[in-house]
Formats: sequence, C-alpha cells, structure tokens
Amino acid sequence: MGVFKDAAELYECIGGLFRRGAEHPEMGPKIRASKLIIKFQYTNPEAQLTIDAKNPPPEGMYFNVIEGENDLQADVTMSMEADVAHKFWFGKLNLVMALNRGMMRAKGPIAAILKLLPSIKPAYELYPQYLREIGKEDKIMG
Amino acid sequence: MLPSFVDFTMRTRLVAGPGLVRELATELAGYERVLVISDAQLVKLGLVREVTEPLEAAGVDVVGVFSDVPPNSEVEVVMAGAGFARARQYDALVAVGGGSVIDTAKAINMVVATGQHLLDLQGLGVLDEPLGTLVAIPTTAGTGSEVTSHAVIKDAGTSAKLTFTSPHLAPDLAVIDPVMTRDLPPKLAASTGMDALTHAVEAYLSTNANPFTDALALEATRLIAQNFRRAVRERDEESRYGMLVASSLAGAAFNVALVGCVHAMAHACGGLYDVPHGVANAILLPWGLEFNREVAAERVDELGRAFGVEDGRQFIEAVSSLAAEGGLPTRLSEVGVPREGLEAVAEAAAVDGAVFTNPREAGAEDLLKLLERAF
Ligand SMILES: [Fe+2]
Repeated sequence: MGVFKDAAELYECIGGLFRRGAEHPEMGPKIRASKLIIKFQYTNPEAQLTIDAKNPPPEGMYFNVIEGENDLQADVTMSMEADVAHKFWFGKLNLVMALNRGMMRAKGPIAAILKLLPSIKPAYELYPQYLREIGKEDKIMG
Repeated sequence: MLPSFVDFTMRTRLVAGPGLVRELATELAGYERVLVISDAQLVKLGLVREVTEPLEAAGVDVVGVFSDVPPNSEVEVVMAGAGFARARQYDALVAVGGGSVIDTAKAINMVVATGQHLLDLQGLGVLDEPLGTLVAIPTTAGTGSEVTSHAVIKDAGTSAKLTFTSPHLAPDLAVIDPVMTRDLPPKLAASTGMDALTHAVEAYLSTNANPFTDALALEATRLIAQNFRRAVRERDEESRYGMLVASSLAGAAFNVALVGCVHAMAHACGGLYDVPHGVANAILLPWGLEFNREVAAERVDELGRAFGVEDGRQFIEAVSSLAAEGGLPTRLSEVGVPREGLEAVAEAAAVDGAVFTNPREAGAEDLLKLLERAF
C-alpha cells in the first residue's frame, strides 16, 4: 500500500500543507500573484486537489484550496501517484527525472509552473513540521 | 563516480554522409507520399529540390511543400501548416530546414495526429500515442532539433515561447548531409555552431548528465574545435560535415542531460530583446563557464582537453576567441539589450526551466552579475 490509506488522509496531509501554504506570508503572496488555477490529479488513492489563485480567496488566506472534483478550468494540470507527490513535498524528488520517466505529467504552460518552484521552497520544511503537528510522524521521510 | 540512476534515450535513427539526401527514398522504403515542411529561402536556394527531386525520381510522390515557416515559428504558422497537411494525403512528413522548421514540423505532426489545437498540447508527457512518421534534414549545424524530443514555438499574441516536450516528438529519422549546409551564410554558421557548442558544454556540466551524455558531449566538443573555423571561413564540405555531426551529438546529449544557466539567460535575451539564440549563447557562454567553474573545475578542465587546450581557464579563453573569430558580437550592449533591461533578463532567466539543471545554483542576483559582465 502507498503512503495514504485513502483520499481523506491525503487531503488531511497534502491538502493541509496547501492550506498552510495559503496562509504563509512568503509563499502565499507569490502563488497568489501567479493567478493560476492548478489541478493536482492523484492516483493510489484517487484524489484531486486544486489551488485556485484566480478567484477571491477566503479570509486570512492568499488562495483557495479545493478538495475533490470541481468545474474550475485549470491552467495547468499535474498528474501523479500520491506517493510521488508525498516525496515531492519533502524536496526529495528529482523533478527532471520524474518528468522524464513519466512519473509526473504536466498539461498546460509548464513555464508558469517552473516559475513557482523557487517560491515554494519553504514548503519542504513546512511539510514534515506539519505532519508532526497532526500526529503523522510515521509519514516523515528520513 | 557513476550516478545511482541512469536514463538515456535516443529515439531517432540517424544516417549521415555527404550526398546522402539523394538516397532518402531508400531510407523511406514502403512510403509512397511525403509532405515537405521548409521555408521560402531554402526553396529559393534549391535545397528543397535537393531532397524532392531524387525522391520523385525514385517514385515517391511529393504531395506538397509547406514553405511558410519564419525564422521563429509561431502558433498560427503551425495551425496553418496543419491545415495544409490535413488537406493532403501523405504517409511521412519531411522537414528540411533549421531549428524553426524542424520544430514546426514536430508541432504540425502533433496537431494532425491528435486533432487538438497546439495551445492545448503544451506540457510534459501529454502525448499517449506515437505520431506520424517524421524525417528531419537539418540545414544548419546548431539546434540539434533533428534528434530531440522538444519543440519551441512562439505565441505571437503574448510573445511567450511555448515549449512542447514528449518522447513522441522526436523525429523517426535524421538525415545528416553537408550538401544541405552549402549555402549557410558565415554569420549563421558561426552563431548556430556556438549554439551547438553551448549544448555540448551545458549538457556536460548539467546536474542531469550521465556517462552516455558525457561521451556525446565531449566528442561534440572535440569535433567543434576541429571544424568550427573552417566551416565558417572556407566552408568546405568536410568541415561542414563535422559541424553537422557535432550538432547532432550535442543535441542527443542535451536532449537527456538538458542545459543550464547560459541557455536560461539566452532564452530571456531572446524573449525580451529578440537577440538571436546562437548569438546570445556565444556572448554568454564564457561567463557561464566562469561561474560554473567554481563548482565544476574538473569538468571544465575535461571540456578544455576535449577542445584541445590544457585546462578550463584556456578553454574559456578559446571559447571567447572562437565566437569573435566567427564574426559574432561579444557584448550584450552590441545586440540591443539596454543596461536598464539587464535586471528583467536576470529575473526571467532565474525562473527559466534551463536554470534548474545548472551545476551551481543561480538566482536572479547571480545571473545579474554575469549579465553585467557580459554587457
Ligand atoms: Fe540552444
């Protein structure tokens, strides 16, 4: 079995990280500025997260984080196994290799996504910290 | 030390030899109708005929020549080319041209096979199925596009350069023949040659390099050292052949290893100030090497030895004089980049895809320093 037992657990972990990102004083404004709608399509377990930096965000957040299917028109859609995503958020995934090997697919103007890479670096530290906080230490990658 | 994981692909069958375009029909046994993608200048110079006449003599129908490809191809051109192609029955596309023509043919192939608009095909790994047969016959020794799985097309509306990447984009066959570069003007021979050298150098220094790409990159570097000057000045067949082979070798290397900060800055100079790709690379390569030598001294030395000099320091000097001898500008100030524009170039380069495989981390501030020195 993979890292997450079901979609609910993925939403709690990665979705939770995204919500933290949406409140983050450094990452939040930079993602907001991109005005992108980015959909993440996960398999094993089947799940979907959307970052919506186009429409007005809720109070206290820089962008919307949406769990599950929705009708928003995504600028970029990223598809991957949930385990690949988990590894990515620890900063432990060689992105070039993952893309070359088809472990990750990106549909849309990828230059727009690459532009965001430098600004999401704080997430790599935030993720293990957050997992510890919610009692999911077992998922922290060494 | 060998990397713990190695991934190498070259999907394109490649044949090379002086006069080989005359034998294309042999390579295309079983194909009856081909459609040619090229540009008006190459038609005028008779280079398209070098390919089509022998094909027709061998009983292969040339069902059309789409010759509207501009130097920096655009989305509209691709869609028009796809319309042209759809209206004709063919079983193989033959691209005769430089990087822009070959990339356009890749994009047309993709639009025709998927039935989608080009703008909906951006991304990485978006194609599930192989496309139609594509043959690439380069008429410059530079881009390496005849063996890569990338295509770059400009969106005239936003003037953004769109990138398309998929293993299925790689041509099925590349035909390397120095006859096809016989009319290459010296300046273009020099700038495209410097592009090829930059591919070899950056692939060799890339964080994604592996023993296979290393071998290709070093041999490309060696061949460029031997042939560049003659291919620009005397333009004899042997040196032009050497440059074409070097360009494909470097293409196969960077197709896997990718490039680095020199390309990131060159893309930004091209996007913001229309500096020709090869010219920008030629100006920036010595500064990029200087910057990366801090973390990759041994590898830069190795490139120097392949180039026929003693070490990395001499290599950097040799690269600068090569560009100057080729008659190329050596400063950004000479090619229309204003000093007050350098910051914007640095910002754009810092988030260009190419910068992520540079051996030394390069943020906007580092790049700005390099750009100022190259100004
Ligand atoms: Fe290039």
